[in-house]
Amino acid sequence: MMGKKTKEVRALVPYGEGLNCDHETKYIFELAGARADLVHVKDIESKNVKINDYHILCFIGGFHAGDENGGAVKWAYDTRRFIYDEILEFVYQNKNMVMGICNGFQNLANLGLLPGFDDQGGRRVLSVSYNDCGNFRDQWVKLKVNQDSPCIYTKGIDTIEFPIRHGEGKVIPGENVLEKLVDGNQIVMQYCIKQTGELANKYFPDNPNGSVYDIAGICDPTGRIFGLMPHPEAFNHWTNHDQWTRKKYHLSKNKEILESKLGDGVKIFQNAVQYAKEHLL
Amino acid sequence: MKNNGFSRLEICMDTDNPFLLDARAEVLRKRSENYFGIEIDDVKHIRVLTVDTKLDDIVKKEFQDALTNPVTQKSSYSPLIGKDDMDWVLSVTLRPGVKDTTSDTTKDMLAPLIGHSDFNVFSSSYFAIKGSNLEREQIEKIGKEMEANHIVQNFKVYSNEEWNPDVGIGRNTPKVRLNHVPTFISMPLSEITFKGIKTLSEDRQLYLNEKDIPTIAKAFNDQEFLAERKKYGLKGPTDVELEYLAQARSDHCNHNTFNARFNYLDRKTNGMTVIDNLFVEFIKNPTEQISADIADVVSVLWDNSGVRRFNKDYYYVITSETHNSPSNMEAYGGAITGIVGVYRDPLGTGKSSKLIAGSYGFCVGPRDYKGNLQPFLHPQRLQDGVIEGVKDGGNKSGIPTIFGFYYEEPENIAKSNIFVTAIGLMPVDVLHKPAYEKEISSGDLIVMSGGRVGKDGIHGVTAASEGLDENTPAGHVQIGDPYTQKKMHDFINEARDMGYLKFITDNGGGGLSSSIGEASREKNSEGKTGAEVWLDKVPLKYDGLDQWEIWVSESQERMTTAVRLPCIDDFLKLSEKHGVESTVIGKFNNDEALRIKYGSKTCAYIPTKLLEEEFPQWEFDAEWVEPEERGLYEPKGICEFINKIADHGKLFKNLLKMPNIASKEWITRQYDHEVQGTSVIKPLVGIENDIPSDAVVIRPDLNSEKGFVFTQNVKQKYSKIDTYHMVTASFDEAVRSILAVGADLGHLSGMDNFCWPSIQQGSENPDAKHKAAQLVRANVALKELCLLYNNPLLSGKDSMYIDNTMDDVETGKKVRMSGLETMQYSLVSTIDDVSDCLSCDAKEAGNLIYVIGATKNELGGSEYYAMFGEIGLNVPKTDSEHNLESYHGFVEARQYVDTVKVVKEGGLAVHLFEMAAGGNLGVNVSLQNLLIDDSVNRDDTAMYSESTGRLIVEVREENKVMFESEMGDSASCIGKFTENRFIINGLEGNEIMNENIYDLKKVWKSTHGDR
Repeated sequence: MMGKKTKEVRALVPYGEGLNCDHETKYIFELAGARADLVHVKDIESKNVKINDYHILCFIGGFHAGDENGGAVKWAYDTRRFIYDEILEFVYQNKNMVMGICNGFQNLANLGLLPGFDDQGGRRVLSVSYNDCGNFRDQWVKLKVNQDSPCIYTKGIDTIEFPIRHGEGKVIPGENVLEKLVDGNQIVMQYCIKQTGELANKYFPDNPNGSVYDIAGICDPTGRIFGLMPHPEAFNHWTNHDQWTRKKYHLSKNKEILESKLGDGVKIFQNAVQYAKEHLL
Repeated sequence: MKNNGFSRLEICMDTDNPFLLDARAEVLRKRSENYFGIEIDDVKHIRVLTVDTKLDDIVKKEFQDALTNPVTQKSSYSPLIGKDDMDWVLSVTLRPGVKDTTSDTTKDMLAPLIGHSDFNVFSSSYFAIKGSNLEREQIEKIGKEMEANHIVQNFKVYSNEEWNPDVGIGRNTPKVRLNHVPTFISMPLSEITFKGIKTLSEDRQLYLNEKDIPTIAKAFNDQEFLAERKKYGLKGPTDVELEYLAQARSDHCNHNTFNARFNYLDRKTNGMTVIDNLFVEFIKNPTEQISADIADVVSVLWDNSGVRRFNKDYYYVITSETHNSPSNMEAYGGAITGIVGVYRDPLGTGKSSKLIAGSYGFCVGPRDYKGNLQPFLHPQRLQDGVIEGVKDGGNKSGIPTIFGFYYEEPENIAKSNIFVTAIGLMPVDVLHKPAYEKEISSGDLIVMSGGRVGKDGIHGVTAASEGLDENTPAGHVQIGDPYTQKKMHDFINEARDMGYLKFITDNGGGGLSSSIGEASREKNSEGKTGAEVWLDKVPLKYDGLDQWEIWVSESQERMTTAVRLPCIDDFLKLSEKHGVESTVIGKFNNDEALRIKYGSKTCAYIPTKLLEEEFPQWEFDAEWVEPEERGLYEPKGICEFINKIADHGKLFKNLLKMPNIASKEWITRQYDHEVQGTSVIKPLVGIENDIPSDAVVIRPDLNSEKGFVFTQNVKQKYSKIDTYHMVTASFDEAVRSILAVGADLGHLSGMDNFCWPSIQQGSENPDAKHKAAQLVRANVALKELCLLYNNPLLSGKDSMYIDNTMDDVETGKKVRMSGLETMQYSLVSTIDDVSDCLSCDAKEAGNLIYVIGATKNELGGSEYYAMFGEIGLNVPKTDSEHNLESYHGFVEARQYVDTVKVVKEGGLAVHLFEMAAGGNLGVNVSLQNLLIDDSVNRDDTAMYSESTGRLIVEVREENKVMFESEMGDSASCIGKFTENRFIINGLEGNEIMNENIYDLKKVWKSTHGDR
């Protein structure tokens, strides 16, 4: 096996079983300076590929097993059944990083890795459930980042915009969970009003799913496990942004030059890679 | 004896949690009110998973825990609903044999807990409904007309008295039981006459064309052939063989109408033109002529999709389909099967491609239809169904739905046209061999991958509804399963990259009969043809299918591939890893015949050459009568009415509410248009992301800056006047749309989808000759424009018989109605650097507004006339050569432009509104400055004429001089963008409209709202 003695940051992106977003997630990890491997879920479950050979594990979006019994229900069930011990080792012993985007976030919540309270013991204490609007929605949202959060992925980001694309994205904390999330600054991102940057306070469509406390993303107490409903990997190029032609207009009018063609989503992954370089290599 | 016990887990939302909404129940409550005015006080949705075996307590608990979210859900193995929780219960179950992914994936979870797989899971659901005044008939109405489609689902209503809280919905384990030993039969040799075959064709619903029967009869009377058949124990034709011949000769597979000969009579000149073959003359020849000069067009007109070079590493692959008849019977199932099905075409093109985008087009009846004729589904229900079907099919496939349109027309109640488009990306080479080429060799194994075979889709949906009991499989309708197909997609792409695939095609219409049938007739690497098929090896959903049923079943999510013998073990291993079932079901050979076996018996033997026989060509008479002669006229009443009004604001607002003009954001938002991270110009743009783009752009190769540009449209209203002008308008609009987002004219690829009413003459179809003439005229226009624009048609399809017979509730009679002659035109272009793209939302107040192209007195077939219930006569006539010149000029001038909007349905004022609304800006423009034709002398004509060739552009003051010098007199400045008033000054110079842009936007969004 290759092990982790290499000098490169290695990201593992499981795919297959109805998941999508695989190619763009690999691509954005590479833009951020990691080596990313797409590995079929079955190869991970069968331990043909060992997650502990990697620094970052990213559960991507999609519809695992069609999400037939609810978002990521079977995914979490399978993950627990086949590789739960390896994941615990990956996270708590080797202190590696885990990201969950959309369906992947649902998986982390179902696995009990989020919010990851000390006394949680793998239980589900937070649900990601059906949107209040009653439908799947594709829409760009503005996100306010909690500056006091331990989240590694959002360092240096104040507000950021990504698309959401889900039918089940409403974060519903169980009993007493919201208080603990707030106290621990584990709420990383909240939906906010596009024009003002103020919290959406459930206002639709700025809060697109009715998420409690406008929660869009949370992390565990260490900040190394991060789950979010919006898709940072879908903002890999400046032209992905919903307002990019307006930005282009203003650049052109003011005779300014575009600084970088990279989309803002890359920052999230750069933060992850940077942390891995400093702490995990 | 299996144990007769069962376990039934019920799950519902824990509505005691104050944060929670029972979203699914809420949909039922809302729709009951919207569809039927039935008011429900409270409703709960309960999901049910029934396992047809008794589970022990440990398994029960573990299974329940896995499936119940402790934060949001409650569950129980006994009914969750007591008598106090309901006045009525409506239970909905699937008919046996309907593809049910919930059951399949649940079984996957449960099997390891139980330790074996010898059981089944059945998913269903029920609603507990409360309402003081609700009657049984109302609940039955909700069940019958809304929640359950009797073709695929059963429902049951329980009153409060009938509901037993200990028993609940009871045991729901509907299994298919056919009690039938598979057999095939032979026709006695004595009956192989014209009459004999015709009778059989009618009895078995083979729909063999009468003209084909003599060819078949002759073949089976050939002594040499009969002697050869004897070797395999065959005498007269078997049912398997006749089904094969019927499928292979069907209009669906052979496009007999398009390949027909047309005798076109122009009644004005009495001139007769004979078209030897419509397809060859108007589509094939021009495309081949154009493609000959374009090196990058590598595959057109023969494979499942057209293939053209995208950049140095990739080709793009494109095709478009309709799924009309099924969608009109079972809207959700038809549409999801349609989109998932069309996605298999690029997957089965060349050596397979990755799916990168999809689109939809819904030509439907009026949502608020209240007429006497009763279509099978009310337009509202049909629309909700198809919208949801494309949503689930597209989103769950992980393929962005990048474009789409929604078009209402009363004639569409006859049969809605449901278009679906698939776009793929194919590597140029796979292991140093061209990926677009298929290569079969003798000895290659035939492998079927994906779903299993059942009675699905046998002989289409025609005989769907009669004589079903609870154990009858839902034979004729299919529900697409994007999950199964997504797994197969990933598997096939990987198998291709490993070099395992030599040939691949999908199983669509005709199933194996069509996929293997066609492959067996392709020349292999030795120049020979032939294959042997082992039907007994084909994996089935349930036992008891006859051989012919296995052969023609249209069960979905299946691909047929050719795999070299040395690769087969690796191929099957990879398939297993992806959770895809693959089975070797035959092999290709050099026998120049297709031989189908079931066990040791041969049940079909058809020499390749039999299907290459010259079957007689179809022939149609076409007769063109000019629109005036058909009684069309320019409405005079509107002229008088309009001269009396000074303020056009109110009229304009009514126009903005027209269903084809009003905002359709509610549809677009439900579709994931950004998965794969490739989005550049989205289907919705603007400061509030609520304005529809004329065309869209994606960056499908993430390692390249190159953009793929796409648009499509229909112009159904113009077909009421003249399809020649319908097609030229459609084409012209498509060209302007791709120009508007920044593409050039150097790379254009088109795609035609014809949906046409029957042109077969008969007493029930008195205007068949007119419809045939319309078909010819549409094709003439298409050819002219393809040649002018150097535009090959990469792919094209035709769906004939857009007709229906409906009950008239007032007269009690049956009325036959034809849909409109319709062509969807799709256009592809490319752009070298996506950063050069433009969007259609106005950018800043103070900037100048120019209109390119002249406005003429062309309100015929316009939305404006339709608002008054008129059709009109002056359909927009496209001066294509003039327009092309203007577009070349525009491409040069585009560097000085910030925003471009296409003028189309509704005319200039509507599209000026959309452009301004995109930036939350107003305008102040004068119609006096518009380039107009002498025939325009009214403000409404200038504002709402749908003349083609026009673009609205936004130009900064600093670029004024340069822009004008490039455009010359083909563009004129009509005013400026302003803060928020939408002001139009008329031809006389007086202000005729002054509205607030936000008010207009609100009105424009009011028709459809956010459903």
